[in-house]
Amino acid sequence: MLSGGSDGVIVLYDLENSSRQPCYTCKAVCSVGRNHPDVHKYSVETVQWYPHDTGMFTSSSFDKTLKVWDTNTLQTADVFNFEETVYSHHMSPVATKHCLVAVGTRGPKVQLCDLKSGSCSHILQGHRQEILSVSWSPRYEYILATASADSRVKLWDVRRASGCLITLDQHNGKKSQAVESANTAHNGKVNGLCFTSDGLHLLTVGTDDRMRLWNSSNGENTLVNYGKVCNDSRKGLKFTVSCGCSSEFVFVPYGSTIAVYTIYSGEQITMLKGHYKSVDCCVFQSNFQELYSGSRDCNILAWVPSLYEAVPEDDETTTKSQLNPAFEDAWSSSDEDG
Amino acid sequence: MSQKRHRLVPETFGLKRRRERGPVEADPLRGELGSARAAVAELVQLFPRGLFEDALPPIALRSQVYSLVPDRTVADRQLKELQEQGEIRIVQLGFDLDAHGIIFTEDYRTRVLKACDGRPYAGAVQKFLASVLPACGDLSFQQDQMTQTFGFRDPEITQLVNAGVLTVRDAGSWWLAVPGAGRFIKYFVKGRHAVLGMVRKAKYRELLLSELLGRRAPAAVRLGLAYHVHDLIGAQLVDCVSTTSGTLLRLPET
Repeated sequence: MLSGGSDGVIVLYDLENSSRQPCYTCKAVCSVGRNHPDVHKYSVETVQWYPHDTGMFTSSSFDKTLKVWDTNTLQTADVFNFEETVYSHHMSPVATKHCLVAVGTRGPKVQLCDLKSGSCSHILQGHRQEILSVSWSPRYEYILATASADSRVKLWDVRRASGCLITLDQHNGKKSQAVESANTAHNGKVNGLCFTSDGLHLLTVGTDDRMRLWNSSNGENTLVNYGKVCNDSRKGLKFTVSCGCSSEFVFVPYGSTIAVYTIYSGEQITMLKGHYKSVDCCVFQSNFQELYSGSRDCNILAWVPSLYEAVPEDDETTTKSQLNPAFEDAWSSSDEDG
Repeated sequence: MSQKRHRLVPETFGLKRRRERGPVEADPLRGELGSARAAVAELVQLFPRGLFEDALPPIALRSQVYSLVPDRTVADRQLKELQEQGEIRIVQLGFDLDAHGIIFTEDYRTRVLKACDGRPYAGAVQKFLASVLPACGDLSFQQDQMTQTFGFRDPEITQLVNAGVLTVRDAGSWWLAVPGAGRFIKYFVKGRHAVLGMVRKAKYRELLLSELLGRRAPAAVRLGLAYHVHDLIGAQLVDCVSTTSGTLLRLPET
C-alpha cells in the first residue's frame, strides 16, 4: 500500500498478515524520506499506483508538482509543475488508449497531463473556483468527474472540445443549456468524489454535511439520503466504496470515526471508532476486503471484517468448527514508519 | 430463537449485534410509521395559523417529515412523487439552503390569491398561478422558461418579485416563495435557537423529550415546542437516544 504524509514523505507498506496474530503491524517496505533529493517539499495530497502494475506510482503535493516515480529505484521519472497547489490527481483505471492524469489545482481549470509525452495535453474549463477532487469513471475511459469549491460537480468527456457534458443539479430541475450556470450539486464546497465500482453511480460529499448519490449516465440525483455526514475538511476528502460485497458500502471519514453506509438504501450500518483525531482518508482493498484509514493522529489503521465463529446448533450432533485464527479479531493497528 | 450459522454481510462490519426492535412505546411524537403524505398532513396541523392571521399557508419543513418517517430516502422519494403529482409545493426558505418548506398546493394558491387581492400586481400573480404552477413543479424557474414557455414579460416578472411570489436566486433564475413568509422565518429561526438553547442549558446537555414538551415555552418560541422539536430531530441538530424513560434528546459532541 502506498501512503503519502503531510510532511512530504511517501511510504510503501506490505499489507500481508503473515504473523497469524489478530493484532499485527504492517511493516514499511521502503520510503521516500526527508533526505531523498526528490522528496516533496510540502504535504502530499494524493498518491496513486499506476493502474496496470506496481512498477510506477504518481504523487501530487501542495508544492505544486505532480511526480511520477519508478518503484524499483525510487527515483522520479518525471515531474509536472503547475502554477497552483495541487489538490488531487487521478489516472484512469481502465484506460487503454490514453495515459492522461487529471489534476485538480487551486485554479479553476482542470489540467490533463499526458504521461507518454510528458506535457500537459489540455485543459478543461468550466469551474469557477478551486478543484478539490477529480475522478475518472471506472466504466468509460474518457469520462471524468470533477468537483469544485464553487459547489458544482461536472462530468466531462475529454475528447469533446466544447465543454462539460453535465453539471449535476441537486434539485433535478429541468435540463437546458442556459441553466447550467445555476445548478449546484451541494450547498457548499464539494470535497470528495467516488464512483461506485461498476461506474454507474457517483457519490459526492460536500461541506454542507451531505452525501449524495447520482446516476452517472444522466446526472440525476437519486435522492438517497444518508443523513448528516459531518464534513469540515477544507481540502479534498478521500472516501471509498467497497467492491465485491453483496450490498455495497461506502466508507466516509466522519470526524474521528469512519461512517459506513449502504450505498443504495442510505442506511447507516456502523461508525468505526479507533482514531484519536480526524480521519482524512480511507481506502478499500478488495482482495482482502479490508479498509485502511489514515488520520491526523499519524496512524494508519487497518479494519478487517470480523467473521464470527460458528455457533453450535441446539442438537448435539453437530460439532463446533474452528475458524482460522487469522480472521479472529476485528481490530488491528499499524504504525507509520519514520 | 434458533441461532443461525450463516453470517450476514452487515454484521461483519458491525461491532455490536443489532438489538431487535421491541414494541414501539407510546412516545409523544416518535415512532410514527406512515407515508410522507400523512406526515405532512399531521405537521400542518401543528402550524399556528392564528399567529399570522391566516395570511400564510400552513408550512411544514422537510426536516420535520424526516422525524416522522424514519427512512429518509423513502421520505424524499415520496415527497418527490407528491411534488410531481402537484399535491404539494416545495419552497426554498431563505435562511438555510437546505431547509425546504412543504405547502399543500391548494393552501398556497388560496392564500396567495387572498394576499394579492386588489393590488396592482394581481393580474400577473393570477396568470402565474394559473399557467406556471400546474405546469412546472420545480423549486426554481429560469429566465427562458418564463419568457418563452409561459410568455411572461420582464415587467411582469418584476411584479411577481414585488408580490413576493418569486425570490431572486441568480441572474435569470428565481426561487418560488411564499409572500409574507419573512415573519414566519424570523420566528422560526429564533424559536429553533431558543429550543436548542433549552437543551444546551440542561445538565449534561441532554433532556428527556417528555420533559422538554412539558416545560413552558420561552417567549421566543412562537410556533410551538412540538413544531420545533420535530425540526431539530429531523435536521439532526440533536441526537435521539431511546432510553427506558422515553426518548432523550442530546446535543451532538462536536
